Amino acid sequence: MVSTIQNTDVKQKEADRAVVVAVTSRAVFDCGADDGDEVCEVGVAFPLLQALQRVNERLLEENPTESLLFDVVLITSDSQQQQQSSRIISNTRHHGLEISRFCFSSEEDFTESLLKNNVHLFLTTDRDEAAQASQKGVFSALLNGKVASSEQLRVVFCGDAVIRTDAEPPSASQDAAQSFWAQLGEMRRRFGVLDSPLSLVLLTSRGGRESCGAALQTLRSRGVNMDEAYSLAGAPRIPILSLLRPHFLLINHLED
Amino acid sequence: MSQNHGHTLTARGPDLTSISNRAPWEDARMKLKPSTPTRKPKPPKPENAITIGVSARVLFNMEKEQQIYEQQGLEDYIKYQVEHETQPFSPGPAFSFVKALEAVNTQLRELYPDSEELFDVVLMTNNHAYVGLRLINTINHHQLFIERFCMTGGNSPIGYLKAYHTNLYLSSDPDKVREALEEGIAAATMFTQEKITEVSDTQLRVAFDGDAVLFSDESERIYKAHGLDKFFEHEKAHENKPLDHGPLKGFLEALGKLQKKFYGKGQRMDCPIRTYLVTARSAASSGTRALKTLRSWGLEIDEALFLAGAPKGPMLEKIRPHIFFDDQMFHVEGAAEIGTVACHVPYGISQAMPKKGINDKETSSAPK
Repeated sequence: MVSTIQNTDVKQKEADRAVVVAVTSRAVFDCGADDGDEVCEVGVAFPLLQALQRVNERLLEENPTESLLFDVVLITSDSQQQQQSSRIISNTRHHGLEISRFCFSSEEDFTESLLKNNVHLFLTTDRDEAAQASQKGVFSALLNGKVASSEQLRVVFCGDAVIRTDAEPPSASQDAAQSFWAQLGEMRRRFGVLDSPLSLVLLTSRGGRESCGAALQTLRSRGVNMDEAYSLAGAPRIPILSLLRPHFLLINHLED
Repeated sequence: MSQNHGHTLTARGPDLTSISNRAPWEDARMKLKPSTPTRKPKPPKPENAITIGVSARVLFNMEKEQQIYEQQGLEDYIKYQVEHETQPFSPGPAFSFVKALEAVNTQLRELYPDSEELFDVVLMTNNHAYVGLRLINTINHHQLFIERFCMTGGNSPIGYLKAYHTNLYLSSDPDKVREALEEGIAAATMFTQEKITEVSDTQLRVAFDGDAVLFSDESERIYKAHGLDKFFEHEKAHENKPLDHGPLKGFLEALGKLQKKFYGKGQRMDCPIRTYLVTARSAASSGTRALKTLRSWGLEIDEALFLAGAPKGPMLEKIRPHIFFDDQMFHVEGAAEIGTVACHVPYGISQAMPKKGINDKETSSAPK
């Protein structure tokens, strides 16, 4: 059973142009036990939503009729959170978050709500949820556990999986990933090199400069120009990731 | 200029050392077709390696592009770089030093095939990734073994230097160099030189000034405050008290560690790494304290040259080091005049106070 509530405070985006990003509500609000207090704590995804909103604001500044915008949808799939549905909605208003739709479903069919809402990217802190969504062909990513501090939306792409041999047919999830990246690339092109509200970062862990270079070229051929590039060539990833401060990390789940 | 489209050179499996009848140095110069996927040796883990971070502008000559950036701005700079993507840069001031490091690595790999105690050169640039392909193409063209890089797109590279356990950082930006020094990383500013004399291709030679480079600037302070005589007196009186360490001490130590590996295989007389102390101290008086300090640290230096205040140029001309570190621009410039690759360690009392309010183009956030 899947139900969707539209947020009437927010202008709905153009369905065929917007980049639909779904986030699990438990990552946005930490509504504790019913203690009467209406205001919930903010979760790890909160700064991300603010960053997405800033990107939208800047896009509209460049072009008030811009339709390539982030369209944020909140997914609530656990029953506990569902009991808090009114609090979730009221907190959204309270914090001024530009969430256009609230989707409620059971744990078993949350992927259905993703597909129904044409979600381009699903963000969660739960690895299993991400894997499940991936299997259904929805591009998923894990939210950065540490709250990112930058105002700029920082998207880190772990690029080892960018180069696929042509022998393998692309999976539904890989196609979804590619189209999401193309959309991000287009958004990025709306801004100049400096003072962009979003930064695209390529990180290759294995391979050396050649594979990072090949990834840069492949992405460029898809219209995605990276701002930053890091070739680790086997060096540990974690120290570098903590410096990169991504809001979310795009990794090929099948590989990692 | 060819690139390996779609070839992911994942160097897994056993290290393949070049076993041949040729001298190791010839192997290093062996011409490899850039388009041939070869099994390169795997880069060492950062904690095992001696990591040298180099900025793009010291590794390669990017003078023309730098001018475009300064005169026309970032967007034009990037456009130019992308348009000339397949055109490799020519070598910059750090180039011969990096080649020499690789030649030492080749020898170390031959003697110790399983060891990760090697030099690891990392490109640390705050260029944007747009310039990345041109830099990668240039690395390919010159057959440099640089597999790791950070292109920070304008952000400070200092955090990444630490993450890679960087032992030495070379950049053309004195502000970044100062920042690195403040974080305890050995660092020096390099400059484009008109003249670079030929250096040995069988032996890596590294020359250091003493005070405020290997040693702290404590004695220099005395010299500045009280003059030469007081300085000699003071040094004689404190002969047996080791000087405090300076910013490049750790790097000398790292070189010593590698030297010992060569000694262990009987290569003491013709060690592929040779270190020099080139100091204004005098052998008769103040030099003793310097030597005793090194000894107390358990460090060796192959040649100590006490100039007693004489110009360093002629001595450097004789030695022909691949790189020379000094804290005084006067000596750096003097060395550069005779064609020695000299770099400035902006540390200690000899530094001019930074001028406030002057827009110094050299220290702008230009891509390095």
